[in-house]
Amino acid sequence: MVEITEHTRNVLLEVAKKKKIYVEGNFLKILKAPKGDKEFEDYLALCKEKDITTRKKRLTVTKQVQLQNKELEAAAKENNRINKQLSKALDEASKSAEEAILAEKEAQKLRAEAEKLRDAAVEDLDTLQKRTQFELIGLIVKTALWIIGGVGILTSCLYLYVLSQGIDAKIIESTWSNLFGILLTNSFSIIGTIMGVKYATEKNK
Amino acid sequence: MINTLMLIDDENLFHLVFEDACSILDMALSFEALDSSDEADAKFKAWFPDDPNKERPECVFVDLNIIGSSYDGIEMIRKINYEYGDGVVIGIISSSEDEEEIEKAKKVGAQFWIIKSDDIEPRLEEFMEDYDVYKSKSAPFKVYR
Repeated sequence: MVEITEHTRNVLLEVAKKKKIYVEGNFLKILKAPKGDKEFEDYLALCKEKDITTRKKRLTVTKQVQLQNKELEAAAKENNRINKQLSKALDEASKSAEEAILAEKEAQKLRAEAEKLRDAAVEDLDTLQKRTQFELIGLIVKTALWIIGGVGILTSCLYLYVLSQGIDAKIIESTWSNLFGILLTNSFSIIGTIMGVKYATEKNK
Repeated sequence: MINTLMLIDDENLFHLVFEDACSILDMALSFEALDSSDEADAKFKAWFPDDPNKERPECVFVDLNIIGSSYDGIEMIRKINYEYGDGVVIGIISSSEDEEEIEKAKKVGAQFWIIKSDDIEPRLEEFMEDYDVYKSKSAPFKVYR
């Protein structure tokens, strides 16, 4: 402990009275009032009280700052965590978008292929239909020609037989000529129909 | 009252809290705060072995994780106790309550473990009640929660 001189004591007391400046800090802990000096004892007690009040105030503020710092640190950590999550989500979204674009391209490719196949199938079906139609027309024409030819031959044979036997051939004669006329007309009519169908089919194509 | 007190902690704001708390509780006559264990190591190295009792602090509080330093608190205590002549009251002041770390500190010669929190004063007050026993090295290891 440090016992101070009379002069220092007086200076300290005067400074405290006039300028309100008091000793503070750890130095205060080693100062000792001269024996029986009540005034200086009171002065030291006042200095200690002021020092403790100041320290308490500062401690409260420092603790508040410390608490705020901790909260800020925690908030920064949380922000960091959220940012990381967002970045991750963004990456995933970008990846998904890329995958969607790829899938769309693939779908377009498949669609084009499907359309191509559909066109081929339609074409095949068309060809098949046409072939069936031609076959049917061929059959009709063949049948018609057979009928025409048959009727022609039959009528001619009948006419020749009548002529050779000397039987009255007036009715059969007119019938034969009428029949040939009709057969020729029908033959041309059939040919005309076939040509017409063929022309219409080619035009549709 | 402790004659000279040293705090080794990387958190500068805690230096102020600790100093004010010590002052309010009338714990020490002089206080020195260092923010790295390397600085403390250099000081203890310089004090040892010339005149270890002249300048060395009477009591040392060491943080467990001293960011930016070569040694953590436990290694610092081990060095002071085993390499620089022991002779100081030394312990950990940390917000950690890890039992494994507490055991490690005990093994290297820490005498106490004070849990840091917003309200440090009651723990320091309790520590001061036990201080004389720590000084005589007869106190068992204690955790101030």
